[in-house]
Amino acid sequence: MEGFLINVLNGLSWGMLLFMISMGLTTVFGVMGVLNFAHGSLFMLGAYMSMQLVRWVSSFWVGLIFAPLFVALLAIALERFLLRPVYGRDVSFQLLLTFGIMLFLDDGVRLVWGPAHHVVNPPDILAGVFPIFGQTYPVYRLFLIAIGPALGLGLWAFFSYSRWGKIIRAAAMDREMAEIVGVRAPILFTSVFGFGAWLAALGGALAAPHQSVGPAIGEHIIIESFIVVVIGGMGSFPGAFVGALILGLLASFGATMAPDFQMALPYILLAIILLTRPRGIFGEES
Amino acid sequence: MKKVSSIFLMLSFLVFSFGASSVMAAEAPVKLGFVYIMSGPFATYGQFAKHGAELAIDEINKGGGINGKKIEAFFEDSAGKPDVGIRVIRKLVYENGVDAVIGLDSSGVASAVAPIMKELKTPLIITHAATPDVTGKNCNRYTFRISLNENQNMKMAAAIAADMKARIWTTIGPDYSFGHQSWEYFEKYLREKKPDMGFVPVSDVAFAPMKTTDFSAYITKVMSSKADGVLVSLWGGNLIDFVRQASDMGFFDGKREVLLTLGAATEVLYTLKDKMPEGLWVGTRYWFDGNDSPENKSFVQAYKAKYDVYPSYNAHGAYAAVKAFAAAASKAKSTDKEKIVDSLSGLSLTLPVGKVTIRPEDHQAITDGMWGKTASDPVMPIRILKPVRNFVGADITPAVSETGCKME
Repeated sequence: MEGFLINVLNGLSWGMLLFMISMGLTTVFGVMGVLNFAHGSLFMLGAYMSMQLVRWVSSFWVGLIFAPLFVALLAIALERFLLRPVYGRDVSFQLLLTFGIMLFLDDGVRLVWGPAHHVVNPPDILAGVFPIFGQTYPVYRLFLIAIGPALGLGLWAFFSYSRWGKIIRAAAMDREMAEIVGVRAPILFTSVFGFGAWLAALGGALAAPHQSVGPAIGEHIIIESFIVVVIGGMGSFPGAFVGALILGLLASFGATMAPDFQMALPYILLAIILLTRPRGIFGEES
Repeated sequence: MKKVSSIFLMLSFLVFSFGASSVMAAEAPVKLGFVYIMSGPFATYGQFAKHGAELAIDEINKGGGINGKKIEAFFEDSAGKPDVGIRVIRKLVYENGVDAVIGLDSSGVASAVAPIMKELKTPLIITHAATPDVTGKNCNRYTFRISLNENQNMKMAAAIAADMKARIWTTIGPDYSFGHQSWEYFEKYLREKKPDMGFVPVSDVAFAPMKTTDFSAYITKVMSSKADGVLVSLWGGNLIDFVRQASDMGFFDGKREVLLTLGAATEVLYTLKDKMPEGLWVGTRYWFDGNDSPENKSFVQAYKAKYDVYPSYNAHGAYAAVKAFAAAASKAKSTDKEKIVDSLSGLSLTLPVGKVTIRPEDHQAITDGMWGKTASDPVMPIRILKPVRNFVGADITPAVSETGCKME
């Protein structure tokens, strides 16, 4: 029984990291229709930036607050000068472009920080362990489990109730109509892309103390995030939440109960969803 | 105007490159190709190996080269993938015309590449990949290994485990041949020493895919099993993530014995620093503080002076392979590939790690090995090993008849 509950916690903490990455991916796709291949690299950049800031000022919180902002600024520049010129063209241009940005960022990170792994310590207040179910569990993981839903709820409220959220949803639904009634879509798109990058980098900064910061840190998580987004439904927040939970729990229970085909589980689920409900669990009919 | 200037540019480029190559062509160099993991979560291993190789090449070139010819090095990234490994080795042989290939970190790459060497008729000296197959059932005339292999390392692990309190063993390893074979050989050798030892059935041990970054599920699985001894064969970035997360989850609370089969990699120790728990038994292929021979002292000093870190076993592997190639070439008085192969087979030389002999029957290096217990030392930036246990090469190397190698 204890093993079961610990597995739930393991699954939740990984799932919440996945959720944060997937939220950015799904927002950018839902609003802009852009499938951003470089999202994993922005996650990685967030982790490296926060590691660097922690090194300079030795405060985890400074890294957590400022690293995502830097990455968001970079993403805004990327959107303004690279992505915007290709919006009018075939969608394959966007895919190629974001793929190129991904390669560029991945190698850039290696040029600046080298191939070594780096360790980031959690802040003292989150560094300890918590006695739970007859054993101890890292406080930092519990923090991750708590911060995921909090962030998700905040975003959900933002999109449902705030004026900006409504404008973004309107523009996502019908860009032309939104422009006719006076929404400045280009600025909106730029800020949404920056926001998606901010979420990715926040995920990276939060992942840094949880694992080590090294090359390819984003590779595994971004593939799972794509699966989350497809399972949950492209552009859907509740979908990303449920999808991330499912994948997180599959990872932890799969490792224990079905070790031989645990690697295949997310893909099997993906195939089932695509065959039976291609728009995803929470996806809306197009 | 634009056309003229671009023609001028091209001409000057041609002149320059011809000029440069004619200088180098004064004496045709000996070309060595190196294949390591230079990207992804295991890329530090490639960096250390590159440094080790460059140090050896510098030393040899300063001393007049091999049979009077300078060494020129070509480095390629295997990315840890078998198909990439095969591709870059073909490129090194056909395009760059290398005289030998040195390297390989992953057993998966080594198993795929070794049979190709027969077709390429080019010597390959493996310096890290440990799968017994390439000097066992898939051995061939062109494939050599200068470092310890998995059987040798597991013989040592089993000897240490036999003296521990643990009665039931399990494992956490990478989910590919290396992890599975490590467990298989560990179980086999430990059973030979202690027939009453318990082992968790293979369905209940933990093998994590190499791309894993969250090991909590595997750690929980092992902690909730009834095993009191754990063989950890994770390495590289996997090992770093595992050690950190396992420490947080109370894995190293003293209730279980832990063996890290590749824990004494300085790549890992430099990242973890004081996050590496003390009192763990860790294995390695070479340890910079392992002996006081003049060869070792000068290697460690030169490496530390040049790169400001202590050399890892992978740095030593690459260094050792270059030195072995040079020794074989000077013995054969040639760099002809067939003559190098003949001369490498049965070669004995003294390296920083100690005396190494390449067994002619299977091309596996016979070399002394060691394990050590992690300890802290105030003047050292990383964990040191204290105490250490040394093993004689002949005692830890299975007989040729056991390896399954039939050299043609």
